[in-house]
Amino acid sequence: MNQLTTTAIILNRTDYGEADRILTLLTPDYGKLTLLAKGVRRVKSKLAGGIELFSVSEITFIKGRGEVGTLVSTRLAKHYKHIVGDLDRTMLGYELIKKLHKATEDEPEEGYFDLLRQAFEALDDTSVDPRLVQLWFLMQLLRLGGYMPNLETDIEGKKLSADMTYTFSFDGSAFAQHPEGVFAANHIKFLRLGFGGHSALALAHVQGVGRLVQEVQGIVTTMTTSHIRS
Amino acid sequence: MANILLIEPDTVLGRTYRQALEHAGHTVLVARGAQQAINAAEDLAPDLVVVELQLAGHNGIEFLHEFRSYGEWQSTSVIINTFIAPHLLADAEEALRRNFGVKAVLYKPRTSLQQLISAVDRHITAPDGQA
Repeated sequence: MNQLTTTAIILNRTDYGEADRILTLLTPDYGKLTLLAKGVRRVKSKLAGGIELFSVSEITFIKGRGEVGTLVSTRLAKHYKHIVGDLDRTMLGYELIKKLHKATEDEPEEGYFDLLRQAFEALDDTSVDPRLVQLWFLMQLLRLGGYMPNLETDIEGKKLSADMTYTFSFDGSAFAQHPEGVFAANHIKFLRLGFGGHSALALAHVQGVGRLVQEVQGIVTTMTTSHIRS
Repeated sequence: MANILLIEPDTVLGRTYRQALEHAGHTVLVARGAQQAINAAEDLAPDLVVVELQLAGHNGIEFLHEFRSYGEWQSTSVIINTFIAPHLLADAEEALRRNFGVKAVLYKPRTSLQQLISAVDRHITAPDGQA
């Protein structure tokens, strides 16, 4: 049988029989993998059954005939130790893993692996506000799912202007011009960065980021509730 | 009366809690860290777990995530007894209850031994898995 090697992040684990564990892993090459880790409970090895949470590991496995393969070996490549040094970051880390696990099919594209890895990197940076990481993660999850808001033109098709104020229309997934609208050019620029290819760490350097996170949070969380499976 | 797994990193506090809970009729196993607690749970088959969130190495939340991933421990009652002030845990408390089935969150400096024993007695997992 061929042994395969890839990089992986653990999403879930559960016990199987008396001594084994079943791990669900997210990989860039094979999507989600369900692998049997044999004898983990009997030997009382590492807490995570050979793979630490909030880490990236190099794994070797054998593909099974059915859905479940067998984990052969693991090597820790990167552990995000500052996440588990802070309870709020740990809780958020679990929430992100859970959300991504539920939101994705069995064979998610490579972008989801990169998203989770980058989210761990941002959460591991104690100078970055976890609320920003959460918001950025949701924006990226929407982007990967194909649910980007229109950040170029308003609901009537007119180019968004720096001199106007807007409300947000969830039906049209776009801004609507309104003289008393609470959204302005700085919010739109921030959303463009967040929904674009920029990392959470890059967003952290935007001037007034704390306030912007609060002010656009409603748009992002409502869109997430509407479009992302939870 | 019941098997209690107590996860307490402070040796003196661990001994004090153990003596109080044993005096109340329970069997108590004390673990100082998350990994030790998982191993202890395999041996003890606890009816209830009392855990401090601030542990060296793997923290209490990591322990809970691992603990709940085993079929036989998914309905075991868990009480958090921590030095983390309530206002710092406010946002996390609901998530702890929702995600890990935590029954009660106690703030150590304001929890007497009698209050700890009462909370344990109130939430001990019944044989059918109901607390």
